[in-house]
Parts: sequence; structure tokens; C-alpha cells
Amino acid sequence: MIQRILTLTLYLFRSLLFSLSGLLYFMLTLAFYIVFLDPRQHTPDVDYYILVLGLFGMALTFLVTLTVAARANQSIHYPLIVRLQSRVEYLTAVMLTALTFAFAIQVIVAIVALILNGPDLTFRQFVEIPPLWIAANILFSVLALHASDLVTAGWSRVYVYGVLLFLLYGRGNAGTVMGWLAGIFSGLGNSMLSRNWVDLGSGLFQFSNWLNDTAAKLLGDMLGLVFWPFSAVADATINGAFSRTQSLAPAIMLLYATILFLLAADFLATKDLYLTE
Amino acid sequence: MIELTNVTKRFDALTAVNNISLTVPQGEVLGVLGPNGAGKTTLFKLIAGFLKPDSGYIRPSGFDWPTIGYKPERLLFPNQLKVRQYLEMVASLSNLSGVEAKKRVDESLERVNMTQAADKKIDDCSKGMRQRLGLAQTLIGSPALLLLDEPSNGLDPEGQNEICRQIQNLHSQGKTILLASHQLTEVTRVCTSLLILNNGKIHYQNQMEGALAERPYATIRVDRDLDDLAPVLMSLHPEIEVEGNEVILNKESMRLRRQILSIIISGGYDILKVEQNRVTLAEIYAEATR
Repeated sequence: MIQRILTLTLYLFRSLLFSLSGLLYFMLTLAFYIVFLDPRQHTPDVDYYILVLGLFGMALTFLVTLTVAARANQSIHYPLIVRLQSRVEYLTAVMLTALTFAFAIQVIVAIVALILNGPDLTFRQFVEIPPLWIAANILFSVLALHASDLVTAGWSRVYVYGVLLFLLYGRGNAGTVMGWLAGIFSGLGNSMLSRNWVDLGSGLFQFSNWLNDTAAKLLGDMLGLVFWPFSAVADATINGAFSRTQSLAPAIMLLYATILFLLAADFLATKDLYLTE
Repeated sequence: MIELTNVTKRFDALTAVNNISLTVPQGEVLGVLGPNGAGKTTLFKLIAGFLKPDSGYIRPSGFDWPTIGYKPERLLFPNQLKVRQYLEMVASLSNLSGVEAKKRVDESLERVNMTQAADKKIDDCSKGMRQRLGLAQTLIGSPALLLLDEPSNGLDPEGQNEICRQIQNLHSQGKTILLASHQLTEVTRVCTSLLILNNGKIHYQNQMEGALAERPYATIRVDRDLDDLAPVLMSLHPEIEVEGNEVILNKESMRLRRQILSIIISGGYDILKVEQNRVTLAEIYAEATR
């Protein structure tokens, strides 16, 4: 299995590297470097350096994964896929290719930026960077897989990104959502009271108040918990040190990535494979 | 052996494969015929595992992995690779490595007469070479089941002959082969059994020998129209037809043939030709897809 995955990874990597898309990514990287890490400007802070390059890596990994998945979704690969024991091997190769390509570029930019006009990193900071970047890259690579035609089965990408959007929206607007729900129940309560159903009406009022206060906070906290690893990494980077709890953040990102990868593998393994010509 | 039981595959309103049950024993070369859109490629993709049946099941049994070598209908390859590089990649995906992989690649190149072109870029290969490369890649790793979707499509007669020879060679090695083709001569030559699909259904299925031995007929041609003798001849047997100056006996019966000849001669006709025919694949195909 390892041999097959590595063979496919090497093949996909080469074909990306010597393609127009590969060239475009190098140009994109150059543009990013000039805009965000221009050595003629002042030396960037450590947190700026880690976060900006981390975000660049995430975005690059997302785009490269989409590109590699699109290239892997071509019908020239039918004779290769038929040789595999499982389609998951193919998916792994696609993801490995994208991660390797994007991480290599990220590391090159990071080293160049560090050498030319980079911040002074302590050994501890230097060691902390790779797990952060790699965990985030893996998560964004898996997210990109869900957006690709290779993995999408039916409406799966709509569901996955729909849930993600709901979580993102709900996190910042839990109060608004619950306020809206509370308003509905409050209206229902009024309606009950006007019919002299006092017990039911006051029950609905109480529920509406609960939604407005307790449930809104609860939902906000719950949704905030989902995105905690990202805020933990950002906070720790800005503060210059990770607490014990915050150091778990990359592991939780990897947990998310694993769950999403399993989902992607299931979609790919069970779908009809229509590769484009 | 590969076994399909009540396999159905639908694409929205179109039923591409409709309740097909089929058993292909090991070592058989099954010719799959049918007009465009009959369901041949869908059937192959189902067997290869690219598509999932909506109902029914497909069970390849007795095959060791790698199970299947697949040559798709359209010859698309990663053009940036050289022939050898591509085959080495397929070998690696079949868990072959090092000397063994090189040996297998050389063997398959030799089998399809492409040794000279091993270091050629695929982009520079002719259509014939691409067809042979398509066949060569199916042979790597010795998969027990080969799915060949129109392997000689677009080849010149010599190229078609070569593909036929390759398939016969593979058959002699005990490979199970499913061959989709529009080349009836090719199918007649290399296949041991026959399947004709139309609108996703099996319209005909038989062993090749049995199919071609079916419905033997004799044609007797005389010097002029047989209008006056037609009622007498046709009353001999329902399988006798008279068309112009020809009598067609759709039955293998020497007794009837002698009777017909005797009536014709005594009627003063000169016999130009007596021909014993068997049904051709083209006729079977035409009837099955009508």
C-alpha cells in the first residue's frame, strides 16, 4: 500500500511541478512574499511572521489540493485506479502531493524571509512552528478535498460547507439566532394568552426568556468551542507562548482533519467515479 | 470467474444496464457487442469497480490481486511520461519493484512489439502505438481479468491483426478477457463466447462456436426466376423460401436439398450454384440489435 501511495504521490507531484498550475503557484508565492514580507521594509514581528506565513500555507494548501484533485480527476487515471486495492490510497496520494507541494513552498518562503529580514526566533518558537503549520495545512487540505469534484458525492460539498457556514455564522450570531427564536415563542405566548390559555402562554414566555438568556450563551459557547483551536493558536502566537491547554490545539485540528478525511474517504469509496476527459 | 447477478445501473431516466446476469468462466474470451450506447462501457466500468450497481451484485472470484487490467475505450495517457516510465508506474502500482518490475515491463513491451519505443514520449506515439501501450499496461502484474474496451479502434488492418494475435496469445495463457468491440471479424476470430447488448439488456448470449453453427442454410441459385415452381418448393417445408432465382433452405437437411434439386432439374432449370452457409456474426448482430 505504501509503495502504491508513494508512486502515485511522486507521479502527481511531478506532473504538478512541471505544469502551468505549478508555475502559477510559484508566481503567487512571489507576489505574496513581495506584498507581505518585503525585506526592504521593517523586520516583521515574530507573531506576524508565524501567523501570516501560517495563513499563507493554509490558503496555498487549500488551492493546491483543489488543483491536484482536479488533475487526479482525469480519465487518464482509470487504468491506474483499477490497480489500487482501495480508492482511499488514491485520496491519500492526492492529499500527500498537495501537502508536500504547499509545505515545500511555505518552508522556502519562510527560510528566505527569515534569512533576508526575518525576526529573531528562539529555539522554542522555531520548534513550535512546524506542528502549527502542518496541522492547519492538513485540515485545510481535507477541507479542499470536500470542495473537489473528485470527492464530492451528490450534494456532499453543499452539506459539508453548509455545516461549516452554519457553525461560523452561529458562533458570532448565537444571540441573534436565539433572539429570533425567542421572538417566535414570545409571539406564540401572546397568542395563547389572548385565548386565555394562561398556563401555556406563561410557559412559552419562560421558554422564550430561557432561549434569550441561557440558550444563547450556551450555543455561543458550544460553537466557540468548535473554533477554539484556531483562537488558541492565534492567542498563543500573539502572547509568545503556549499554555498546556493551548498546546493541544494542533492535535484537535488534526482530529477534525481525521474526521473530515474519513468522511471524504467514504464519499470517494462509495461514489460512482466519473473522471473527466 | 466473474459473476454478475441482476445488475442494474441507471443514470437518471436512462437505464444503461438493465438487470444483467452473467457468468464468465476463467479462461474465456467474451466478446461484448452492441451499438453505441448499448451499455458496453458502463458494464465494463461496473466490473472494474468505477461504478456501483444500483441493484444486483458483481462477484469476481478466484482472482488474486491485482485482479483487473483495464484498457478504456479512449486512449488517454499522461503524455509527459515516456512509455517505459508509464509502464513502470503501473508495475509499481501492482506492487512490483526493482528488477522484477523492469522484467515485467520489458516482457509486456516485447509482447506488444514496443521494445523499440520504450524511451519514446507518449505524446510522440502514434495511435497504433497508443493502442498497443493500452494493451501493454493491462498485462503488467498479470491480472487474471482483462477488460479491453475497443482495443483495435482506429487501427489499420495490420494493427488490428496484431491486437487479435495478442488477445489469442493471452487466451492461450488462461486469461479471462472481456472484449468490447465493433469489429465483428475481430470478435469472430478471438472470442470464445458472445454477448450482444442493446439498450442495456442482453439480447443474445452464446458460445461463439454454437452461435456460428446455429441456423445453417443452403442457397441454390438457378438460371432464371422460379415463379412457377415456388408454390411446389415452398410446400415441401416451411423453412424453404424462394426469392427470384434463389431457393433458400433454412435447415440442414440433405434429404430436403436433394428433393429441391430434383424438382428444379425436372422443371428444366439449370443450376448455377449450390452453397452451404452458416449464419455470420453480422447476421446474429443485426438480428439481436434490430
